[in-house]
Amino acid sequence: MAYDGKDKVLEELTGKSYEFGFTTEIESDKAPAGLSEDVIRMISAKKEEPEWLLQWRLEAFAVWQTMEEPNWPHLNYQKPDYQAISYYAAPKQIKQLNSMDDVDPELRRTMDKLGISLEEQKRLSGVAVDFVMDSVSVATSFKGKLAELGIIFCSMSDAVKEHPDLVRKHLGAVVPTRDNFFSALNSAVFTDGSFCYIPKGVRCPMELSTYFRINESGTGQFERTLVVADEGSYVSYLEGCTAPQRDENQLHAAVVELVALDEAEIKYSTVQNWYPGDENGKGGVYNFVTKRGICHRRSKISWTQVETGSAVTWKYPSCILKGDHSVGEFYSVAVTNNAQQADTGTKMIHLGKNTHSTIISKGISAGNSHNSYRGLVQIMPSAENARNFSQCDSLLMTDTSGAHTFPYVEVKNPTAQVEHEATTSKIGEDQIFYCLQRGIDAEQAISLIVNGYAKEVLNQLPMEFAVEAQKLLSISLEGSVG
Amino acid sequence: MDSAKPQLMDRPKAEARHAASEASGAALVSALDAILGVQADVALDAVPVPHRRVERWKYTPVASWWKDVLASDVNTVAAAGCEANPVPGLDAYRLVFVNGAFDAVASDLPVHTGVTCMPLSQRGNAKLQDTDSFSPETSDWFAGLNGRYSQEGLYLRVAQGVELDRPILIHHHTSGEGAFNVLRHDIALALNASVKMVQWSTAHAGAEGSVNVLTRADVGEGARLHIDKVQDEEGTVRHIAFEDIRQHRASHAEVHTITVRGAWVRNDLTFRINGEGAHAELNGAFLPGEGEFVDNHTTVDHCVAHCTSSENYKGILYGKSTGVFNGKVFVRPDAQKTNAYQQNANILASKKASINAKPELEIYADDVKCSHGCTVGQFDSDALFYARSRGVGLEAAKAMLVRAFIGDVLKGLAVLEVRLEVEHRLAEKHGWEVWSDHPNDEA
Repeated sequence: MAYDGKDKVLEELTGKSYEFGFTTEIESDKAPAGLSEDVIRMISAKKEEPEWLLQWRLEAFAVWQTMEEPNWPHLNYQKPDYQAISYYAAPKQIKQLNSMDDVDPELRRTMDKLGISLEEQKRLSGVAVDFVMDSVSVATSFKGKLAELGIIFCSMSDAVKEHPDLVRKHLGAVVPTRDNFFSALNSAVFTDGSFCYIPKGVRCPMELSTYFRINESGTGQFERTLVVADEGSYVSYLEGCTAPQRDENQLHAAVVELVALDEAEIKYSTVQNWYPGDENGKGGVYNFVTKRGICHRRSKISWTQVETGSAVTWKYPSCILKGDHSVGEFYSVAVTNNAQQADTGTKMIHLGKNTHSTIISKGISAGNSHNSYRGLVQIMPSAENARNFSQCDSLLMTDTSGAHTFPYVEVKNPTAQVEHEATTSKIGEDQIFYCLQRGIDAEQAISLIVNGYAKEVLNQLPMEFAVEAQKLLSISLEGSVG
Repeated sequence: MDSAKPQLMDRPKAEARHAASEASGAALVSALDAILGVQADVALDAVPVPHRRVERWKYTPVASWWKDVLASDVNTVAAAGCEANPVPGLDAYRLVFVNGAFDAVASDLPVHTGVTCMPLSQRGNAKLQDTDSFSPETSDWFAGLNGRYSQEGLYLRVAQGVELDRPILIHHHTSGEGAFNVLRHDIALALNASVKMVQWSTAHAGAEGSVNVLTRADVGEGARLHIDKVQDEEGTVRHIAFEDIRQHRASHAEVHTITVRGAWVRNDLTFRINGEGAHAELNGAFLPGEGEFVDNHTTVDHCVAHCTSSENYKGILYGKSTGVFNGKVFVRPDAQKTNAYQQNANILASKKASINAKPELEIYADDVKCSHGCTVGQFDSDALFYARSRGVGLEAAKAMLVRAFIGDVLKGLAVLEVRLEVEHRLAEKHGWEVWSDHPNDEA
């Protein structure tokens, strides 16, 4: 090594433990392990769902049984035993929740520890939060205030009861049940999630936020998020996740569907910090998520993600650019450390004329981790004058980590302009030398460089989240990010 | 939604169909065994027959015709003669293979100290290079086919320090119907040896069948191997070529692949860099026209430190053609200080043309510089306007842009005559006006 201190920094970087590894001792209602039609009927009955939804779930289950877990990702993990997972776990007091004050004090403390005290959020930042614990949404703030504007922001179970037509129209329209193994599983067993509808021409005045947490052991989380932005509306949606520290591998298989109708804009930001497992790769969350949005005429969907957690990540937030002049964006920072593995990227499917997409992906690999970018840019024959720019950079922090790039470019229209570029390197010794020369120590230098490296993506995050994202980056890469 | 209809074919059904086709394949293989005689014990059933769910064959459909290969009438196809030297003015040693058989009359083997060059069938007891678990034969069905049945090709050994004075031209020619043209070239260069080679494939306009060529080269310490590969096949010939190149310390290997014409072409190049200080260079240009399909797969495997590789593929797609590019750069854990560069640029020149590109990086070492770029676009309208406003016609202006676009690839060709002939044939195929001062153009 050309400079001192780097090893120390990297050691700290790999030595930092998971901050959100606590569990919350509250009584919960948990289904026995295993998956069968009866379990699905039980979930559906517990949630007092209409018949059509039960049938939809059963159909998804039938499809799922014929499917195989994908083997194509660049991931190496023990496939979960789907019969050993409990598909339903809910904090018991769910029924009593009418106002914020009814929330179980223990649960409130959990939220405080997560730094999302609902009270505080309410007063200070004006962020409406839907908190999903294990599989059930436990609290939604600001519901009344949003209702004045006609905005619907509630848990999926409430939406099924209160707005069945909207849910039925859009559920599974973007991610069909048979789309893939995990979306089929989610469709069969999803227990809750968030639903959001922005009416025509309304600009949502505050950030909407969902916080996911797996609490019970032996459970999986299967939430479903559906965001519908009607014509000319705008919404910025935030999503955060944590889980306690456990030796087992917990499964998180969510589905997120976004619908941006004509001239609407959806900004969807994720800070993912599921428990990544210990330094030897024991435990941690399997994050197998299907996220996809459909853009109608002149609409825009922007995905921003900061991925720091999970033992294994399998996630490809995508945009189907169906309408003419629609825009899709994907900004991602994925940090892997220790034995973490990530196979993440995006798909941009251009169908409409004059559609544009931008992909900026920044991977940082440390420890023994492997970080893969896998992306698809597809220009269909109907997409005249489509434009795509992709950039995926990888930064390697140790010689035992890996960074991989698997971009797919499929162009079927001669008017398209598609550019893809990718680089892989480590932090330049000359850059560090430059800093050292000017009296900036190695730790600060690395911090400076990584910060600058990820800036392009972090800048896309809403203010409220940018702070948290930086905090999470600094947990994953202690001493590297200021 | 609750009445959602299944839209994909049921998986069990699809699998059953595939299993059935594989079973009939096995029957065909044993039939072929009887006709051809097994040359090497390569198990064909170890790897699946390519289909769309095999990642490396995702964009390359073979389901409709792969059985034709096995059903080909192998030994009875009458071989029509061909022009021995397809490159005017090229002064080279020459090996001509017509429908997979060595044409001794048309050939001109080198007589040179330290060079052993002969058709494979005449090598006697000399051993071929071993295959290992990374060889294409063990991972690809078509390469397995080559390993099992190939009996002819080039056997070349170049002794220490020998530099061959003239290039070696290998001319593959296909004629007649149902030809099954399987060739294997086995090349080994000793310390500091140097060879330039041209592989030129042609076919008669009425030819129909398949060509399967595997080139295995062992490039010794400090040795230089330069291969210019040109595919210009008329008729409906399916051409699949494998290059399995192993490089040792400070060696230098280049393969330039130019696809002028070909109904269905797949090039699968593998460079394994096993010695420090080695350099690998892979360049290619493909200009498929109406109904043609060109697939370029490349793998550069950096096994050791301090090596460099550079890759540049250019594609221009006309008519209803399809192009595939898959480039993989693999950097193993100990291959520090690797510098790998990969570029793929494509122009879609027609409404119905399509391109599927997948430039991959797989990197397990940190102190490396690896980058790749991939673009798809069209002729620059500003450049066309500039030329047209100065009295250059639209087609001529496009031809100029093409020349500039693939110029850097063509410049890399080791043999000048090959470059001139490639330019000439491209111009002829696409109806461009003369590009260069070609000897044939003056007449």
